[in-house]
Amino acid sequence: MNTISVAEGRRSPGLVLDARLAGNARGALYLAVIAAAVGLLIMAFGSPFIVRLMATAYINLIVVVGLQIFMGNANVVNIGHAGFMALGAYFVAIFATPVMMKAVVIPNAPFGMSGVEVGALWAFLISVAMTTLIGLISGLVLVRLAGIAATILTISILVIVQGVLVTWTDLFRGAQAFFGIPKAVGPGLIILATVAALVIARMFKGSRAGVQLRASATDPLAAEAMGVDVKRLRLVAWVLGSAVVGCAGALYALYAGTINARAFYFHTAFLTLAMSIVGGMRSVTGAMVGVALLTVLLELIRIVEGGITVFGIEFPDMLGLSGLMLGVIIVTVMCFRPDGFMGGHEIEEAIAALRKRFGRGKDES
Amino acid sequence: MLEIEGASINYGPVSAVRNVSLTVEKGEIVALLGPNGAGKTSLLSAAMGLRPLAAGSIRFKGEDLRKLDTETRVRRGLTLTPEGRKVFANLTVLENLELGAATRKKGAEIHHDMEMCFELFPILAERRHQTGGSLSGGEQQMLAIARSLMSRPSLLMLDEPSLGLAPRIVQQIFRLIRDLRGRDLTILLVEQNAHEVLRFADRAYVLSTGECRYAGPASRLHDKDALMQAYIGELVA
Amino acid sequence: MEYLIEQALNGFSIGAQYSLLALGLAIVFSVMGLVNFAHGEFIGVAGYAMFAMAAMGMTNPWLLVLFAVVTVVLAALVIERIAFRSVRDAPPTTGLLTAFGVGIVLQNLFLLLVSPRPKAVPALSALNQTVDVWGHNFTILQFLEVGVTAVAIGALVWFLRGTRIGLAMRAAALDFTTVRLMGMRANRVIAFAFAISGLLASIAAIFFIARRGAIDPFMGLLPVLKAFVACVLGGFGSLPGAVIGGLLLGFIEVMLIVLLPDKLAGLRDASVFLIVGAILVFRPQGILGKRVELGDKTA
Repeated sequence: MNTISVAEGRRSPGLVLDARLAGNARGALYLAVIAAAVGLLIMAFGSPFIVRLMATAYINLIVVVGLQIFMGNANVVNIGHAGFMALGAYFVAIFATPVMMKAVVIPNAPFGMSGVEVGALWAFLISVAMTTLIGLISGLVLVRLAGIAATILTISILVIVQGVLVTWTDLFRGAQAFFGIPKAVGPGLIILATVAALVIARMFKGSRAGVQLRASATDPLAAEAMGVDVKRLRLVAWVLGSAVVGCAGALYALYAGTINARAFYFHTAFLTLAMSIVGGMRSVTGAMVGVALLTVLLELIRIVEGGITVFGIEFPDMLGLSGLMLGVIIVTVMCFRPDGFMGGHEIEEAIAALRKRFGRGKDES
Repeated sequence: MLEIEGASINYGPVSAVRNVSLTVEKGEIVALLGPNGAGKTSLLSAAMGLRPLAAGSIRFKGEDLRKLDTETRVRRGLTLTPEGRKVFANLTVLENLELGAATRKKGAEIHHDMEMCFELFPILAERRHQTGGSLSGGEQQMLAIARSLMSRPSLLMLDEPSLGLAPRIVQQIFRLIRDLRGRDLTILLVEQNAHEVLRFADRAYVLSTGECRYAGPASRLHDKDALMQAYIGELVA
Repeated sequence: MEYLIEQALNGFSIGAQYSLLALGLAIVFSVMGLVNFAHGEFIGVAGYAMFAMAAMGMTNPWLLVLFAVVTVVLAALVIERIAFRSVRDAPPTTGLLTAFGVGIVLQNLFLLLVSPRPKAVPALSALNQTVDVWGHNFTILQFLEVGVTAVAIGALVWFLRGTRIGLAMRAAALDFTTVRLMGMRANRVIAFAFAISGLLASIAAIFFIARRGAIDPFMGLLPVLKAFVACVLGGFGSLPGAVIGGLLLGFIEVMLIVLLPDKLAGLRDASVFLIVGAILVFRPQGILGKRVELGDKTA
């Protein structure tokens, strides 16, 4: 029996590294093209409402992709990412908001921040750098922990960030909305950033570090025995993921102009986590599929939620319906397809499988 | 009593057992031999319902077992002492035995059987309040066998009872197994320690890389060459 | 001195609630390796069960409590049957995510069926009356919390040591397959684990609701997070660890309430989690837990 399980472990695809890299590049290209094409089409033909929806969905996609980088490769459930989104958003707000606005919003900011104003691009870069730094510090602690303890620590990060944001009124405006952030980012830039995030996540997954990390998530002892430094790899994934999620937060702040700490708490964490699960957290393509599916579905449910009239019958408000469906979807997916819609596969693998099924004649020639 | 016919077992795409047939008659000791990875443990797991059969059938006392879950099979009188003993290390000897009798209701009978086990394995009586984890390997093996007996099985399947034990202890365990035959018990014994087992087994099967290489009287394998032949040689029809 | 005694009892009584919740988590985890993120929603189930009965005119607090306990135990069994049975043999991550989905379903059911806004459940407020004991002010509730929790833990210990199914649960913590080889029905063992975890949670829920006097759909989230923390502090899956972790957490919280001025009240939860993080850095296995390496059988 033992020998058999070993044999099973060895069954991993014996792809040559070059072939794998080529596959990654092609997969990343597919994702980039699809994300860009869909986004640009919506920008060109969609109503303002649809464009706004698309922009929010794409920011969510960046978050889910950032989530995927750590969670999908290291196989640790992460709930702290909403905290990094908050950090990205608030840092950008503090640096980019004009001094005149700050006199209203945060007049008593410490470190003389109420007198600081930099351009949106610089604010964005500073914000991502600071978020990444915090990712590094928290990551040094996180990689020491396994399994549920690590998940608890990610929750801790979320609660601590929220606590600081809400309490440090002078700097973050507390529970009140932080407004007056320059709206320097439009849907176009968000699409660009999304494409970049997809490519980064995809290349990381296929990189040497990504492959080793995924192998170590399946069998840490074997990986360590082969000289893989699991902790270092987990740290790399965690920091990279934090940076990407921080980007999403910063973009959101620069797009919406107004942010609120409560928007970066458990609700957002769970929503993006659900997107990741539904699409399949082990796959970057899955992130895209999950965001698309849930965004459309929840938007449809929201129409019903507000109370609609069907055949003359008025249905009352059904607040909570979208949340209910979200939960039902997660449970259903977990019961019947625990690896999510994409089952851990990437787009080029799916395309290859489809070709094999439908175009067998051509392939065999 | 136990009839396995044309059994195949797969682990994902890997085939562990292919088309193996095996029977155990009432009162027999049957040895199931073969090198590591031959599929012996898989076959026992399938008999207990811990592994699904990809093909073939399993009958026990004439009843098709395939529809029954593990727990029900135990209730029907089939029991397995698993490889590596698997005593509950955090439970005392008494508690281990109590769990062994999980399928039974009558307290007095259980108590009686416990006393019987202690007669059979006096060392366990001494250690009755110690935890399973604090016992030596041989004692753990005895506890594992005693625990299996507590369900009053009609067929006892033992998976490598000699694994990792000192030769002296192994002798003791084998003597015990021989004694058990006198207690109206049928035994299917998986072993790597072929020579020892063949001395007291009635019949033997040899499995290698998932296929049956020998099926017949144990005495025919007493000859070293015949055994080697069965292990590594051609299929014996 | 007087103040110190009062705060100590306060810590005990708050810690007792966390201990009860953490025990339920630990039992389910040790038996079937499931991290039940939906555990906190049992508090909501208890609360809304009481709310519904009270709305229908039942005023007897004893009956309300009984009804809440029974409802939660049934809910635990139903949830196990519907959601968790199909992911029983799945990797721990799948179980955790399923549980998290179940939690979202329950929260939104409360929201959808009742209201997103808090609702008053005043039936148990009488327990907040203060009594004077040797010159100290305590509430009846505090004594109940400590007393009932102690009784519940005692009963649990008896159950785990004295009954066959209890033995099976302890054995299953090590090796579920072998428990099945004994002929012990897996479904029964797991159903008992869920029933007990629900029972303990419902007791905690009643205290929780008596303290707050109100319920809302998301009230279970923070307590379950803290129960997790208690489990992790004590060593995940260890039952004594869950109790000790819960009590420790209770004391930490009371200490923070005393130390942090109201202006920094928002940092109380954050500080709890900060302390937990710090403890985990130095003892990743928790206080009573064994050292767990990356990749050992944990969630």
